[in-house]
Amino acid sequence: MSQHHDDHHEHGHIQLEYQPALPIPNGKLCLWLFLSTEIMFFAGLIGAYIVLRFGAPTWPSPHDVHLSEPIGAFNTFVLICSSLSVVLALEAAKSNKTGLAKFWMCVTFLLGLSFLGVKAYEYKEKFAHGIYPAYPHGLLYDKPDVYYASAVKVALEDAAKECTTQIDLVDKSAADIDAAKSELEEAEKPEDKKKAEEKLAAAQKVNEQAVAMADTYKERRETLELLRNGLIQWNTRQATQTANPVEGQALLSSIAYTIQHPHEDEEELTRLVEEKGTLTTKLAELEKAEEKDPQEIALIQTRLKLIDYLTADNAEVLRHGVNHTYDWLDLPFVIPSGNMWASTYFLLTGFHAIHVLVGLIVFAVALPATLGVAKATFIEAAGLYWHFVDLVWIFLFPILYLF
Amino acid sequence: MSSTEHAHPHHEGAQEFGHGGTGKYWAVFLALCLLTGCSFLTYFEMWHHAIPVSVSRAFMMAVSVSKALLVMGFFMHLIWEANWKWVLTVPAAMMAVFLVCMLIPDIGFRTYHYSSHRWNHTPQPIEQPAEQLEGAPASLQPGH
Repeated sequence: MSQHHDDHHEHGHIQLEYQPALPIPNGKLCLWLFLSTEIMFFAGLIGAYIVLRFGAPTWPSPHDVHLSEPIGAFNTFVLICSSLSVVLALEAAKSNKTGLAKFWMCVTFLLGLSFLGVKAYEYKEKFAHGIYPAYPHGLLYDKPDVYYASAVKVALEDAAKECTTQIDLVDKSAADIDAAKSELEEAEKPEDKKKAEEKLAAAQKVNEQAVAMADTYKERRETLELLRNGLIQWNTRQATQTANPVEGQALLSSIAYTIQHPHEDEEELTRLVEEKGTLTTKLAELEKAEEKDPQEIALIQTRLKLIDYLTADNAEVLRHGVNHTYDWLDLPFVIPSGNMWASTYFLLTGFHAIHVLVGLIVFAVALPATLGVAKATFIEAAGLYWHFVDLVWIFLFPILYLF
Repeated sequence: MSSTEHAHPHHEGAQEFGHGGTGKYWAVFLALCLLTGCSFLTYFEMWHHAIPVSVSRAFMMAVSVSKALLVMGFFMHLIWEANWKWVLTVPAAMMAVFLVCMLIPDIGFRTYHYSSHRWNHTPQPIEQPAEQLEGAPASLQPGH
């Protein structure tokens, strides 16, 4: 505030000249105030991620959760390019080169869209692998415990029921064909005949498809039952019967290993081969015994059948994991701290993606206008926001993809 | 141009930015690409074998801070702005650090106070020997 003494003497009152609090346009000041709150917001989020991640006893590697470092690096490059293009748009606008400013703004907009496209692809990959930020869709379990074994058993039973439904479709469609044929014979009016013919054609089509797939579903159901009885039931039973908790945990971990095969080692294969030897001896003893226990014999036979199945063809199923071998089957799997990872990953990248989306909306609003010198302040404010989005990603990329 | 004129909407579009040409932006862009390439080096097996994880993480953070300073300084024009920039950025940065520090005792050190019962329900590394974890019960997990 300054006083103009001359005016004061001449007119008998004080004239005030108001000065802005900060020597910048109001729009830019508001934007910087907003960005200062955003700094705290993202610092809280990123800080919480870092504190959670380093405070956790374990954390999944990018490979475990299907994160691709090259894709993350590519998206970083895309955002850096967009930061350059928006600043070039500002320079062009300041020089009143409206066409050039619009060109760079379009480039920025397209790069922002590319970033979101890549992010959408990454999200799709996570969802396709059963990694969701929360229940009920998520297939992630933190520990291979009895709850996990129970979830796998339920999933196997559901899948087996689905197979049974599909197999039963052969009989059902055959019955539908018979019904449609008799309806056709009984029909007198041309409309009724036409309807019956349509029904018959539909039932025949369903029947053809069901017959063609029946063997596949029968095969699938056998596999599912073998996994349920020979893996889940067997391992859970052994785990609950053993007095040694370490051994019990190992049996439950073995289920998780067979489902997903998380590590490149031969330990599980060696263990299965040894178990096969022990069980074969035990089975021979049981069969020779005077008082035979048919239930126990059947259980051991199922287990041996499963071991043969898992170790066949150079242990192909075991090496790749059941989930990977059968793309039609999505069984729950174990990633220690996977749920915490998913929650923080989707929260951080989701909030960042929302900011990218807001930036794109701002650019979309600006694009139809003439981007001359009169719009320079607007472009500068939009650019400042966009650079902040880039700043956030600069920190997100290493901590999410490379740490 | 007085400060009042500078802030006046009528003059907003015509204000003098005075940061020179676009060459410096291209130079900053190249530097950012180079730095991103540097942090991406940590992705390769060769790097993992040669550099300890803690050094690698410190290196990545140093690269990220350098990139952030370049973006803030040149693309966000802070290097050319007057002293008002400190008024808005320093308190926010301090608050940001404070927010993170406040999380450390209860969240970062949470496992320091876990009971054995809590450890039973805690995700633990499958391969890492359990004795490396402070307070974690020993558990052998063959097959992994």
